[in-house]
Amino acid sequence: MTHYSNGAFYNPAYHDSETLELDRRSPRKPHHSNPYAQEEPAWQAGRANVFPTVTGQWGHSDDSAWRVPWEGGQEEESRWGRERLPTGHLPTHPQSPPWQQAAPTNMTMRWRGMRRMSMFVNGEPTHLSITEDAIRNELEQEEQNLVKDLVACSTKDRIQGIKELPMSYEEKKHIRSQVLAFKSSKKSRHLSCFADCSDNVSLSFRRCGSSMASTRQTLELWQGTMKEIGGRFGTSVLSYFLFLKSLFMLNIFSFLINFGFITIPMLAYNQIPQNVTFRGLELLTGAGYFNYTVMYYGSYGSDIIKGLLDYNMQLAYFFTIAAYMVLCGASIIYSMASSFKTNYVLSDPVAGGSWQLLCSWDFSVTNEKAVRQRKNNLRVQLKETLSEKTQGEGLTTAERMKHFGVQLGAWFISTSLAVGCGSAIYFLSQYEQRQTTDTDNWSLLQEAETLLVPFVVSLINLVVPLFYSLFNKFELYSNQRRQIYALIFRNVLLKMSILGILCYYWMKEVATKFSCWESMVGQALYRLVIVDFFFLMLGSFFGEFLSNVIGTRWLPRLGVPEFDVARNVLDLIYAQTLAWIGIYFSPLLPVIQIIKFFILFYLKKVSLMQNCQPPRRVGRAAQMRTIFIALLFFPSFVGSLSMMAYTFWSLTPSKHCGPFQGLNNTFSIVGLWVTDLEGISTASWVVWIYQNVIRSEIFYFLVTIIILFITFIFWQVTQGRKLLILLLRQQIINEGKDKTFLLEKLQTLQKSQPNNKSKTQIKQSKRRSDGSSSGVRSNSNAMVQTFLAGQQDSRGNYFCDVPVPSDISTSYQRIPIASDRQSSSNALALARQRAEVQDYRTPSTLASPLVQVMQARQDYERQADAMDDGSSSMSNIMMQVMEARMRAEEGYGVQGRPVATESSVPARSSALIQAMLARQQSQNEYDDGY
Amino acid sequence: MGNKQTTFRDEQFEAYQDCTFFTRKEILRLHGRYRELAPHLVPLDYTNDPDIKLPLTLLINMPELKENPFRDRIVQTFSEDGQGNLSFNDFVDMFSALCESSSRELKTIYAFKIYDFNRDNFICKEDMEKTINKLTKGELTPEEVTLVCDKAIEEADLDGDSKLSFADFENMISKAPDFLSTFHVRI
Repeated sequence: MTHYSNGAFYNPAYHDSETLELDRRSPRKPHHSNPYAQEEPAWQAGRANVFPTVTGQWGHSDDSAWRVPWEGGQEEESRWGRERLPTGHLPTHPQSPPWQQAAPTNMTMRWRGMRRMSMFVNGEPTHLSITEDAIRNELEQEEQNLVKDLVACSTKDRIQGIKELPMSYEEKKHIRSQVLAFKSSKKSRHLSCFADCSDNVSLSFRRCGSSMASTRQTLELWQGTMKEIGGRFGTSVLSYFLFLKSLFMLNIFSFLINFGFITIPMLAYNQIPQNVTFRGLELLTGAGYFNYTVMYYGSYGSDIIKGLLDYNMQLAYFFTIAAYMVLCGASIIYSMASSFKTNYVLSDPVAGGSWQLLCSWDFSVTNEKAVRQRKNNLRVQLKETLSEKTQGEGLTTAERMKHFGVQLGAWFISTSLAVGCGSAIYFLSQYEQRQTTDTDNWSLLQEAETLLVPFVVSLINLVVPLFYSLFNKFELYSNQRRQIYALIFRNVLLKMSILGILCYYWMKEVATKFSCWESMVGQALYRLVIVDFFFLMLGSFFGEFLSNVIGTRWLPRLGVPEFDVARNVLDLIYAQTLAWIGIYFSPLLPVIQIIKFFILFYLKKVSLMQNCQPPRRVGRAAQMRTIFIALLFFPSFVGSLSMMAYTFWSLTPSKHCGPFQGLNNTFSIVGLWVTDLEGISTASWVVWIYQNVIRSEIFYFLVTIIILFITFIFWQVTQGRKLLILLLRQQIINEGKDKTFLLEKLQTLQKSQPNNKSKTQIKQSKRRSDGSSSGVRSNSNAMVQTFLAGQQDSRGNYFCDVPVPSDISTSYQRIPIASDRQSSSNALALARQRAEVQDYRTPSTLASPLVQVMQARQDYERQADAMDDGSSSMSNIMMQVMEARMRAEEGYGVQGRPVATESSVPARSSALIQAMLARQQSQNEYDDGY
Repeated sequence: MGNKQTTFRDEQFEAYQDCTFFTRKEILRLHGRYRELAPHLVPLDYTNDPDIKLPLTLLINMPELKENPFRDRIVQTFSEDGQGNLSFNDFVDMFSALCESSSRELKTIYAFKIYDFNRDNFICKEDMEKTINKLTKGELTPEEVTLVCDKAIEEADLDGDSKLSFADFENMISKAPDFLSTFHVRI
């Protein structure tokens, strides 16, 4: 089946068209070296030899047929020439439907590159030797087109295009050098300084970019570790570590801007009071000594720092935090959207089995044990799917009710647990609040008492999720994914209810009781972060180490634990939420977070390597990643942002500490700043923006309307695309049906003439010794050729309602090309075919042209046998079939392009007329012969 | 730095950077890895493009490929002759296609080639059976393998020819979001 890819090269006419095409092009581009310049006359001569009996009439038809594509315009033509290339690899692509031609050039380049490769790899040596020239010409032609496309691209696109060519490196390099040479020759033609300069600039930019990429790779954190983890545990576990790493980076960024814009100016200005002693417990509680450091909100002054430049601490504090939140939000939304696009929109909601087979193998896994385990898991999974398949989904109503009841119960329990935990923490906090006093000097015991709430919170966070995962044993979800989603949702509910309650408590009670309440909240958050860290360590001890010990020593039934990606990622999200909430109250909280994540990374790595086995279930890791980012955005980031917004707009900052002392609310600093600016004429635009954008309802109203409108439009576009996808899929299915139908038809026909094949083969061998021209093909090859033709015919018909017989007739008009001796047999066959065209009106109109071609061939063979015509008739048949194919392709190739359609219509009709004439003529000859 | 200058010329680096997804440093690292496979065969100096090919048997012993069930196919797919002899350029090309930044289309094309064992440009039943046997250590019974194959092909085959053409394969890949991250060999 492979060799048919080169089919059309055997046809001299085909190459005529190619060379002529190039001829046309060469005068336009004098610098373009035409590799065909020498060969072209030879071809012309060859053509003259091949068609010695061409009459005036035929010559005319010939020319008109050749000319068709040129009238479609230069650009169209070159594209056409390329698209028509038949390939083995992609039988569906050579003639693309109209919308595919609008596809980006990169795509077409890729297809073409692929074809090239497939030809090299699959081309059989015998064929290569026969039509070496033809193939070489073809390839060069294709290469020229490719180079031209690449030259037309911008520098960046060009490099990307070359990178993505599916060719071997040598070929890519060759293309690249050609592109570069082409470009330089072009440049020398119009020597403009500007082009030169811009090229140099872009080159230097590229150099700079690549060196930056190099540096980035050097700075890439934990690369070796990542490779090791990926190699042993696969992509799904690795996604946890990638998530951890990205959070780590986020915190480094937030630390840098907080430290740079808030802390450094503060440190340069203020001194820490020396009378407070460091007691050690502060590391845990964050109170006492830390209260007087730049750790918390309270120690930042509200003054304008005088120096070389005035530095307004209030504004700096406000805008740094605000900018950080905005940047965070933007980056999360961006990564969420892109991950959603690739992982959700494209994917199929129905879980299939086949992709698991072909796409699920993790190529990054390199550990022997992991590979063995993975293979085992896959085997078990396949067996499961098979047994499910045989069992079917026979669940009785009673069973279903039972499952439903259990699930309902589990949901009820988990929700009430979450609510209960939330209220317990609220009462505990109130109790604690009554105990603490608003003084600076706490006793050690008092200070230790403050750890109670964080301890309980973290304990709940550790224990309750374990309890939730026990539900999995009782709940029987039909679908494993749904089970995971349920588990995630319950955990998120729990964590968010706890945090919500805590926030409520801070906003309502702490904010009114303490004189420097922001610092108190900052301390509380500090404690939560620290204690959470200890519990995370405990969690990996209990969650992984202990269950490993239990699993290996005492209860082998449980087995070695798997790394629970979902639970661990939720812990990370919780930790990050704390950091976000705390960033206003404690600007240096990211430092703690950085240390925490750094230690956690190594801790988890060691725990993973020591205790865990690779996950039993694979797949959907990418979708889980999307969900995690979404969770990081929705309850976590949005929650902390809204809390911060509430603090900014509605709460009164403490009167005696912090940068915003004496203001009604934090946001009013912006108002004050703008009133200051009003005096300065150069800053009037800031004032204008403040008055007309920030403070105007009409602006927000308009923005909302516009966003709603855009959303609606995009929604509509999405709906349209969905419909289009459905149609396209339907089309593929239809094509497949056509193909199978034709196959069946062919088989029945073959059965009806069982002894054909052997004779043909004999003839073939004869012919091969002749070394006669183009049609050295095996029988099956010819069939495949016909198939291709048929396929393309049917597709063509699918898009544009072309009268089918006209194409068949165009294919017949070439018959008299053959020698005199054969013409009688040709004529005979033609007559028969004509008769059959009427007889064989098959039900499927799409398929009819092909069937007719096959009929024609069969009949030819029969005729040939009957007349004992010898070797030549077979080659004739081959020629004919190929001609038919070429014609059909040409007809539709032109048809597919709206621009070229008009010019092709008369050509086709003239072809029809000529075909009729041909028929007449052949009938005459037939009469003469007999 | 001296090492950098003697291994490749600047033009070579530029060509590599334009034609693959690697940076200068990674190219050097790849060269190191390549050389490691056969230190006596592969010279340190690549400035004059020596024509050296390493055979399949050496290449599949790289730690990155050693345990991969498709290692032979991967190496064969990227070799010029289809037998698995890779020159350094082919070697770079292979890891470029399998690296993180290569595009979905490119990966799909090469994945198709890798799974197409008999190189007939279709993933037919025979290919699928080979794949399954490689993935499950051949521990499924022939009947089970046939069943799984039939099911998988039936699911993914859009045009009903009971084998997967590239279009079918591409369509299937587009539904498998994990493909991009799993068809990835870290070097």
